[in-house]
Amino acid sequence: MLNFTLRRLFAVIPTILVLIVFSFYLMRLAPGGPFTSERPLPPAVMANVLERYGMDEPLHVQLWSYIKNIVLYFDFGPSFSQKDRTVNDVIAQGFPVTLTYGFWSAIFVLVCGVPLGIIAALRHNGFWDYTMTGLAIFSQIFPNFVLAPLMVLLFTLSWGLLPGGGWNGGQWQYIVMPAIALGTSYMAGVARLTRGSMLEVLNSPFIRTARAKGLPERTIIIRHALKPALLPTLTYMGPVFVYMITGSVFIDVFFSTGGIGQDFIDGAYSRDYSILLGLAILYSLLTFALTLMLDLLYAWIDPKVRSSMG
Amino acid sequence: MTSASRRLKSREFADAAAEEMITSRSFWADARGRFLRNRMAVFSVFMLLCLVVFALFGHTIAVWNYEEIDWAVLGQVKTEGGPSLENGHWFGVDELGRDLYARVVQGTRTSLMVGFVAGPLSVMLGALIGAMAGYFGGRFDQTVMGLYTIWISIPYIIFFVVWQAFFGRSLTQMIIVIIIVNWTAGLLIVRGQVMMLKNREFVDAARMLGMSDMAIIFKHLMPNVLWVVVIYTSLVIPEVIMAESLVSFLGVGIQEPNTSWGALISEGARTMTFGTLWQLAFPAMFFVIAQVSLFYIGDGLRDALDPKER
Repeated sequence: MLNFTLRRLFAVIPTILVLIVFSFYLMRLAPGGPFTSERPLPPAVMANVLERYGMDEPLHVQLWSYIKNIVLYFDFGPSFSQKDRTVNDVIAQGFPVTLTYGFWSAIFVLVCGVPLGIIAALRHNGFWDYTMTGLAIFSQIFPNFVLAPLMVLLFTLSWGLLPGGGWNGGQWQYIVMPAIALGTSYMAGVARLTRGSMLEVLNSPFIRTARAKGLPERTIIIRHALKPALLPTLTYMGPVFVYMITGSVFIDVFFSTGGIGQDFIDGAYSRDYSILLGLAILYSLLTFALTLMLDLLYAWIDPKVRSSMG
Repeated sequence: MTSASRRLKSREFADAAAEEMITSRSFWADARGRFLRNRMAVFSVFMLLCLVVFALFGHTIAVWNYEEIDWAVLGQVKTEGGPSLENGHWFGVDELGRDLYARVVQGTRTSLMVGFVAGPLSVMLGALIGAMAGYFGGRFDQTVMGLYTIWISIPYIIFFVVWQAFFGRSLTQMIIVIIIVNWTAGLLIVRGQVMMLKNREFVDAARMLGMSDMAIIFKHLMPNVLWVVVIYTSLVIPEVIMAESLVSFLGVGIQEPNTSWGALISEGARTMTFGTLWQLAFPAMFFVIAQVSLFYIGDGLRDALDPKER
């Protein structure tokens, strides 16, 4: 188990390095940059600016000092477009916001998706089953960028129940719509997956045995069927949470929550390399951390996986 | 006697069964029959064809061009710019006084083009690489899988930004960058299938006859995984349309005055607070029709092709 964890952790390091090198060159080799504008700067000023940010040196030297700063000081460097702010500042300010509503959105996905899937499986081809299928289709055709405007239209413009954007220190009114808009499609996905695996488990021999023993249906479902049925859902939640955090770019922009998604898009517009790269690294670190955590959790639940890990 | 058993004993059924015995049917003919019996899927194909016709010939009945500004309504879009039959703006006008009907036609054209060109091409690319990785295994497989892990952890918006800095924001470039971002689509599933198939006798036989590896992949393995590729393509096309829409929504998509569903929806969402709801409603409606149709077509294809479903 420990062995497995360590091996996975070491595998992350080269992957992140390749990611940094690849993205770094990709962005630097593209024409234009953070200091290109309609009216070009005088060459002397340009040279000064480039020197100030260490961009006059050859690329591999810059890359080396960039990686060194991250490893030694966890310093992602200054932002090119936002004066007097470092990438660390940007992350420290925006990331908690994204994490907060991302967390609530994940809760929403689990709390609504899992029971819905289980009920749909228990009432196979019944009312709840069809309701859930309908919901799944609904969420597929109303992606968050259609859903979010519709929600604002209803809850803010028509009924005036919830604020249509902003963050305001994270009061619950400001979290509700971003969390739901972000989570709906994944909620349907979780429900569909849970339904499928629950149906499969309910048709398996050990459940038949339990039924034959005369156990009450409630015990069968809660004690025997639930755990194996939730395993696929669990594996699915890892990527989902990552997608939710990275997919939150749209939510940040639309609801102006002030999360990192907004900075990411701004960075993209202004060609702010350090912000783009810093956030890309943050996103992928998050991906790896979550996948690893879920693998461990999976091993903890499923003894078969545990033994195969060695 | 239930209706089912009555049907089983009927004359027509006996005839149909006899006929089925005589004409041997291939897998694909079988699948086609199953697909055509799925009413929802067939209706969805019809709806999609309508959208294609709309995209191809819709401009011929438009009164205005999609880039033309109607100076008569500009400045009073809210009061005069709504859908009306008199001035030829059937869907109203957008914020800049351009005819929304013509713009929706243009947007439909762009989005469908992106979906139906970029979607299949990226699945093909992924399937080819996946088949090779699965067939050759070893170091090549490890490299591909390593690249895959890195690739999916890079936020894809970076690619759009960087690519545009290099080559601009035309439709062709959009399609190319989507293919590049999505080369991982279909990779894992085809790789798994090929790994399963490559040890079967017919592959051994082909190798013994002296066929080259690539010939085996193309002539013997690919036809056997074609059903997976078809199902997967039907899932990727709506995803690609959605990705394009999202990117356009965020403002790093297709260049004005060309437009897409995403760009139109984003304009509509931005202006809905002013009460010009038609600017959101019409593009969203077309988007939703396309997504619903594609969903049911994908569903029908899965039911028709997946051997597990039979």
